[in-house]
Amino acid sequence: MTEAPPPHLPQATQFPQATGPGPGPDTGPDAGPQEGPQEGPQEGPQEGPEPPCPVCGTPNPTDASFCEACGAGLATGTRGAGASPAAYGGVASPATPQTAPAGEESPLDVGWTGAVPSAATISTTGAGPALERCQACGEGHYVDGYCDHCGSPPPDPRHHFAESPAGWVGGVCDIGRRHARNEDAMALSAGQRPGSRAVLVVCDGVSMATDSHIASLAAAQAARTVLDQPLPRGVGTREAWEAAAARALTTAVATANDAVRAAVDDETDNPPSCTIAAAVVEDGAVVSGNVGDSRVYWLPDRADLRPRQLGQDDSYAHEQMLAGVPREAAENGPHAHSITRWLGTDAPDDLAPHLTTLTTEEAVDGWLLVCSDGLWNYCSAADDMRVLVHNMAAEAGPDATPTAVAQALVDFANEQGGRDNITVALARLGGQGSQETTGAEAAPQEGDRIDG
Amino acid sequence: MADFTAEVFQNEFLPDGGTDVHAIVRVTSTGASAATSMGVVDPGSAAEVILIDTSGSMGRRGVMEAGHAAKAALNEIVDGTLFAVVSGNGTAQIVYPYAHQGALAVMSSHTRGEARRAVEGLRAQGGTAMGTWLKLARQIFETVPHVQKRHAILLTDGVNEGETPASLQAAVQSCIGVFQCDARGVGDQWRVDEVRAISSALLGTVGLVPEPEELAAEFEAMMRASMSRGVANAELRVWVPQGAELLFVRQVSPTLEDLTVRRSTVNPLTGAYPTGAWSDESRDYHVAVRLPARTLGQEQLAARVSLALGDQPVCQGLVKAKWSNDDALTTRIDPAVAAYTGQAELAQVIQEGLAAKASGHDEVATAKLGRAVQLAGQTGNDEMTTRLKKVVEIDDADTGTVRLKKSVSKLDEMSLDTASTKTSRVRR
Repeated sequence: MTEAPPPHLPQATQFPQATGPGPGPDTGPDAGPQEGPQEGPQEGPQEGPEPPCPVCGTPNPTDASFCEACGAGLATGTRGAGASPAAYGGVASPATPQTAPAGEESPLDVGWTGAVPSAATISTTGAGPALERCQACGEGHYVDGYCDHCGSPPPDPRHHFAESPAGWVGGVCDIGRRHARNEDAMALSAGQRPGSRAVLVVCDGVSMATDSHIASLAAAQAARTVLDQPLPRGVGTREAWEAAAARALTTAVATANDAVRAAVDDETDNPPSCTIAAAVVEDGAVVSGNVGDSRVYWLPDRADLRPRQLGQDDSYAHEQMLAGVPREAAENGPHAHSITRWLGTDAPDDLAPHLTTLTTEEAVDGWLLVCSDGLWNYCSAADDMRVLVHNMAAEAGPDATPTAVAQALVDFANEQGGRDNITVALARLGGQGSQETTGAEAAPQEGDRIDG
Repeated sequence: MADFTAEVFQNEFLPDGGTDVHAIVRVTSTGASAATSMGVVDPGSAAEVILIDTSGSMGRRGVMEAGHAAKAALNEIVDGTLFAVVSGNGTAQIVYPYAHQGALAVMSSHTRGEARRAVEGLRAQGGTAMGTWLKLARQIFETVPHVQKRHAILLTDGVNEGETPASLQAAVQSCIGVFQCDARGVGDQWRVDEVRAISSALLGTVGLVPEPEELAAEFEAMMRASMSRGVANAELRVWVPQGAELLFVRQVSPTLEDLTVRRSTVNPLTGAYPTGAWSDESRDYHVAVRLPARTLGQEQLAARVSLALGDQPVCQGLVKAKWSNDDALTTRIDPAVAAYTGQAELAQVIQEGLAAKASGHDEVATAKLGRAVQLAGQTGNDEMTTRLKKVVEIDDADTGTVRLKKSVSKLDEMSLDTASTKTSRVRR
């Protein structure tokens, strides 16, 4: 299923007015189109024959009217609508979109307020296509962006999405329990053959900054695009591949940084920023890099091999630990979550990622985990993380997909309080847990493989 | 064809555990008066009844001026409109049309002339039993059930002593939904609460006319306003989600009317509230909904507020709730909600203060009217401050410290009372 449910949008776009176009993508701070879903398998490299979405760059079938990823109208560049007014027997109205005075607007202030049929007329007319049943109560239907029984909007696809590009790679990005916005982002891709090639990118938008949820997703997708490119083969040695992968990671971070800067047009007092953690797997070789406090863990199955965090946090807590403060105290102390490097307009000059390459001795059976602090806040040490992930995988059973294990880890973090957005991306290397790809739409990436 | 739009003013953000959502919904109609602006209406689309007090207390001068007022109103009634003139004292009689013409006449230059001559023959005598006037008006309107827009003007000058309060109340109840009624009291011998009960129940306005000579202008304005209402019998509909409680529905502009108890059920989640006829105008409604609190970050629609003509909704505003842990968002009170909340309290304390003063409870009256002075100052309602100054000496408007004036004109008290439900439009 690649067609995501229509994102929850202000009514203006649900019911375009007869008298003029709905608000454009820039009508509100939350109106950015990048908050669209990233459900379903990724399409792989984005230079394919399909025309890319003008808003988010995702390729779409040539006959598509709206972007499958972000809902943008492909013809006009405006965001897509779930249905036309006629679909609901709606009444055209000259109501003008209402906006609050500048500086006071909330995401919801940008709303269409004209005629909308009531639940009563909808149930009696019976005309038009069937309305989508409410996912919250199961009783009513979404008539004007909200359920006519319980008033719930459709779940915002940005709040929770999963990606399963291949049977051995999957991830879940979740809003958590306490935040109003999911500023985490994730972008994955993988070849069908287990261990062949995978790209895992996780970004964590800095909360309180304007539009961090847009910036983080743009960063993750931009980095994935870079890392999806075939690496130069060089002399064909493992060392040459590792060097090329490291250069690609550095380029990916720089490109992601550009994407964050470009994500928001306006000069804002509080420009968006985010972390990045990325890993590339190719034929059993693993290279990772990170900026900020999103992490890559290598969690080998064999007890005699040491699980470890690849790279290091750019955080005040990490500096404290280097100064001798125990992990427990450092990661729970004041400013523990203050990061010292990040992507964005006000990013530091030095954005060289902390690059790590797994040795061939290390890179045997195990789990490669890329996650945001929404997970590791509850399980920081690599030893603990290995126990947690392996327990979750064991509970899920031998046939469970990495996406299912990632979901279990998200559930775990939510049960611990879900204080932050949670992103968990997993790649299963070798042995138990790896499967042949089942999704027909996962883009095979054999062409990117190099001999190693 | 009239166009309606709805705007919503609210702060949709609720704190963790917050349950109550307040919103002002502004409904605006345009093109509603076009139907009548041509000077002729389709015969049978509207009916007007003028109810004139001819009790003995009106006296020769009063009845003469009432006659002038009736003529002024007749001049405003558009040709083609069905109309009648009723005189009332202890009983009610149709003055025009004449008995053989039926209960209502079609307005034309001929019938207007006949009606003008008929009101010249009015004489003041007898008591006051407004219930009988209203019942006669109802019987007149019920002869034309197909007429959509039915409106009456009622003039009185005295207390309703010719019948029991229960009898008047029953008469008013029987008229609800049959016609709308604007009521005016002339002089200072009538009771504001009594007449307001009539006009409020019948979706009309109440007003004070100090001198009989001012009646003609008032009647002319009232009738002109009625003629401009080209949309009949609109109803406000409020949907709230399953599990929510609708705390109240209140019209807050141009006048205050609590609509909560006027609810009729459309379906289990939707109630309808009559709003009468509309001209080109805006009316503001304050809707308060109590929701079961959801978790932070969740959003819920708290209410759909629509205006319906017949069964057809013509506009809708969405009232939303979104739970947030951002104090900067959740602590902001929407200016429109705040202003109308203040104005509603202002009207209440004025009416309670005047009632306390009338019944000799000076301490209560001082406190209530002091609070009124404070609220009028806070909401910038200068007109109300001016009216309050005629009733109380203001020592400190900020703290609401006032003293009751020793001698107050009855008319000043009554004008404060009648004006208390008029609100000043909140701008955005």
